[in-house]
Amino acid sequence: MSMGKLSFIIAENSYIIRTGLVRIINSFSEAVVLKEATELNSLIKIVNKHKPDFVIVNAKLIADPHDDIRTLFSDNLSTKFIIFVGSRRKNEHFVHFNEKISVDDEKTEIIYKIQNLIISRLPTERSDEGNELSEREKDVVKQIALGQTNKEIAEKLFISTHTVITHRKNITGKLGIKTVSGLTVYAILNNIIEIDEAV
Amino acid sequence: MLFTKTSKLAEIVHQNYLLIPIISRFGIKFGFGDKNVEQVCKQYQIHTDFFIEIINTFNDKEYTPSKKLRELPLNITVNYLLKSHKYFNQVKLPIIENLIHQLKWENADNKNNKLILDKFFNEYRNEVIEHTSNEEKEVYPFILEIEKNFHKTRADEQFLNVLSKKSIRKYADTHDELNSALLDLKNIIIKYLPPADNNEITNQILQEIFGLEKDMEDHTKLEDSVVVPAAVMMEKELRKQLDK
Repeated sequence: MSMGKLSFIIAENSYIIRTGLVRIINSFSEAVVLKEATELNSLIKIVNKHKPDFVIVNAKLIADPHDDIRTLFSDNLSTKFIIFVGSRRKNEHFVHFNEKISVDDEKTEIIYKIQNLIISRLPTERSDEGNELSEREKDVVKQIALGQTNKEIAEKLFISTHTVITHRKNITGKLGIKTVSGLTVYAILNNIIEIDEAV
Repeated sequence: MLFTKTSKLAEIVHQNYLLIPIISRFGIKFGFGDKNVEQVCKQYQIHTDFFIEIINTFNDKEYTPSKKLRELPLNITVNYLLKSHKYFNQVKLPIIENLIHQLKWENADNKNNKLILDKFFNEYRNEVIEHTSNEEKEVYPFILEIEKNFHKTRADEQFLNVLSKKSIRKYADTHDELNSALLDLKNIIIKYLPPADNNEITNQILQEIFGLEKDMEDHTKLEDSVVVPAAVMMEKELRKQLDK
């Protein structure tokens, strides 16, 4: 169920701290830790490969945390970087990072920081309208509920079978309903068809 | 958490009450005092290793049944699968059906809701019945035949003849449809069905559906990661006799 979740990669060499960070991140329903790294080279590799939304990296793993960390990674990466520091550096300011988490942070502080990061990244179309069916998709749902095959729907709506299949995929993605009977129920409940029209 | 044969059964129930139907499927009744798994299994003549594997598989979704399970006689697992079928068809589905019948909508606009939901559920139920009875009549007997012949020095001619026409592989995984229908049912109730007047019934229905789904997932896991691979392996060996 990681679909649609914001991805994190955590780079930290201490097992205790790494486990703690993973646990905190995974406690947010919108977030998931994709991978963990214990040193810089493997971090670079997995970040370039997975292009996560966020990277949390311990300052100790970077040669100079005041340099621009982005130069280490491939271009056009939209990843946000968060630096993790020990007690000694907790008051230092790191301009090239989007956020700083310190080992001394209290629970409320760290939760607040991560929450803000998550909010900054949530897609704006995640509102209700984003999941509403378009008129065309409603036409397709109607035909499915009337018992038509993909080919029949294509002919009726003057579109290709391929387009019908794409519509069906998007409908299932939006509604969370996959089977013909399920879509029929949806169509009746939303007055797309009358109950006695259903097959 | 991992359970072992020295775990107390009462403690297991306290840790995860969702295991209650699984335990009762083995015929175990409550009132088992401080007996551990091994003692209870002995009392009820249950294969202890098998019981432990089932409990752990259900308890921890990361847990994959160990190789030990594949090495046990398949009829132990098949027997358990048959009991699960019985539980789905004779206990769980009637409970959900009964709850659906109890839903009420006073508003005239919504009078069809029960009808629609009932129809969808009945279709699903029939699919489950069809699926389980096909497994009981075709798949499981075939698997047990494979196993029986595997242990013979030379398989029966008649069975080898059957084997030249069909393979266990063709039965592998036909659960997708059933899973989708259950997922649809959840989303219809959670997202689209207008709220019923007696909302607590809706809560119960959802709880039951989630429980059934979890039980069925483990059922499938047992088939796909234990029974079918073991049968495929034996069938492969038997096919060598076929070539001779």
